[in-house]
Amino acid sequence: MTSWSRRRLVCIGGLALSLVACSKKGGEDGGNIQIGVPVPLSGDSASAGQDILAAAKVAAGEINDRGGVKGRKLEIVPADDACSPQQAAQAAQKLVNSGVVAAAGGYCSGAAVAAGPIFGRANLPFILDASTNPVLTDQGQGKVFRTCGRDDRQGDFAAKFVVDTLHAKRVAVLHDNTTYAKGLAEAAVAALKKNGQAEVTYFDALTAGQSDYTPVLTNIAGTHPDVVYFTGYFAEAGLLLKQRKQLGLTFQLVGGDATTDVSALRTAGTAAEGFIATTAPLATTLPSAADFVKRFKSENTGTDPGPFSAYEYDAINVLAKAIERAGSTKGPELLKALHELPEYQGVTGPISFDEKGDRKTVNFVAVTVRDGKYISYAH
Amino acid sequence: MSDFLQYLVNGLTIGSFLALIALGYSMVYGVLRLINFAHGDVFMVGSFAGLGVLTALSMSGPWLAFAAFAAVFAGALVSGVLGVGIMRAAYAPLLRAPKISLLIAAIGVSLALEETVKLLTRAGFRSYPDVLPDAMLFSGAVRVSYSQVALIGLSALLMVGLWAFVTRTVRGTAMRALAMDPDAARLMGIDAERLTMITFFIGSVLAGAAGVMYGMYYTQINFAVGFLVGLRAFTAAVLGGVGNLVGAAVAGLLIGLVQSFAAGYLSSRWADVIIFGVLIAALMVRPHGLFGERIAERV
Repeated sequence: MTSWSRRRLVCIGGLALSLVACSKKGGEDGGNIQIGVPVPLSGDSASAGQDILAAAKVAAGEINDRGGVKGRKLEIVPADDACSPQQAAQAAQKLVNSGVVAAAGGYCSGAAVAAGPIFGRANLPFILDASTNPVLTDQGQGKVFRTCGRDDRQGDFAAKFVVDTLHAKRVAVLHDNTTYAKGLAEAAVAALKKNGQAEVTYFDALTAGQSDYTPVLTNIAGTHPDVVYFTGYFAEAGLLLKQRKQLGLTFQLVGGDATTDVSALRTAGTAAEGFIATTAPLATTLPSAADFVKRFKSENTGTDPGPFSAYEYDAINVLAKAIERAGSTKGPELLKALHELPEYQGVTGPISFDEKGDRKTVNFVAVTVRDGKYISYAH
Repeated sequence: MSDFLQYLVNGLTIGSFLALIALGYSMVYGVLRLINFAHGDVFMVGSFAGLGVLTALSMSGPWLAFAAFAAVFAGALVSGVLGVGIMRAAYAPLLRAPKISLLIAAIGVSLALEETVKLLTRAGFRSYPDVLPDAMLFSGAVRVSYSQVALIGLSALLMVGLWAFVTRTVRGTAMRALAMDPDAARLMGIDAERLTMITFFIGSVLAGAAGVMYGMYYTQINFAVGFLVGLRAFTAAVLGGVGNLVGAAVAGLLIGLVQSFAAGYLSSRWADVIIFGVLIAALMVRPHGLFGERIAERV
């Protein structure tokens, strides 16, 4: 071995040691308590991720203003999962290595499915604010929690809503082949078939990322549906609304809870009027979240919180409560505290978890677009 | 039947964008024997430039039409200058190097443009303001909007203009001469370097104009739009017989129609399979493309 390469080896060794030293920070030694927030900060879902991250910062800021948790400040550590399974796994590993005590975040279910086992192996709780695919808690071994609902329940709600409220006799269901969209679409179709009052005229996927969905829409229109339930994400929802209007199609477009981002409305313009979406209640329609909305706006140059901001805010607060009760930031004790948490009054309603980690009481509602804003659906 | 006509109209709309972009691939191939992989990204940059102009002008009412034309013009100009810049900076030094170096340079420029815009936009999408009117020319069983007609018409106008330039002007004739035999063209006193610049400029201008029109029509663009659209336009250029302008335009429309019908009658998941299946099948029967270069002369 030459002296040059030996020197390099020493350098690399030193670097590795300093990395290990870094990763010790934030654990039991009385410094800041680090909470990982894995969300999409790049890609088509980036605006949703930024809203979620901003809400986490609002929650941590409030807790720190009150003196932190057991005298220690909360520190939000963001990581970009880009809504992709590969990058989500890397982001989760990065958070685990940097010494976070828990993760609270996530947007795309497909990304969360990849991140879940990595937090799980490190025995860290992972609280989801937006990822609704049933698999996440079903296979979470009690280490994955959520303040949002499950798609099997959303599917039930959507089926009941389009049949009972919209009086649809013929329903088309369109997804985009992602984990989330496919799961919700299948849940909705199952519920519609069980209910038996409406016929499912169409069940297929579009290819996300293409600009032209007019052939898909024309094809769907050929099956003469009263309602089309689109379970994909907001980027495509905006285009579908726009092109539905261009084609002059009269069916009612209903979206799932990933279509309620305001940037879909920017793409669709006036074509978004009358669009309906099934979702957990939005912060802007919840009286109990009024203070949160005010605080969020004042810290984010007047922008309204996104559809999942309030659920992330509650996730951080629930986590802080659990750390307080456990009197520790060790993973196993935090997990135990979260399961045993007495009902916590969040801005989105009471929160407690069942043995799987799902929120016990969470309901779905319908919202609609009027004058470029989402409001509660009332007929 | 009405479904069929609707797919036809929508296919022609997509196809007219593809044709405009395919022309750029074919023109550059004509003079340099280079597949300019950065061409799709020139389209994308033009689209973002047009969005910038529209946002900056933020006009409404009757001024909207003015703003729309200003945006198309600006997007075309930005793309044109970018195309010439790419030519001078990345391709000109490699003209005497092996062809493979030129090709790798083109891929490099493509990735550089894409990644730059990806970083600037955080890979998110951007929405175009509502510029095109919703008014319908036909609103019966088949829907055709005025804006669709305007976009197809503008594309056709640009293509006819290009055709007139290539066949009716001295420069256009020189361009054809350069494509047919570069060495003989130089001996006849044709300034090859200058003509190559002009070719890049025109091809990129068409791509930039298509980019802005695409943005106005679909109202949503992102950094990857040049790759997705460019790949199809490139397919059209090859299908039409790369180097052949009429072939590129016709094949562009054809690919648009195939995409529309495949997504409509089968599923949008099958559209790409069928587009590239058509390409492979066509090349097996006619290896030089539908309007193969042996029959028609290249430009």
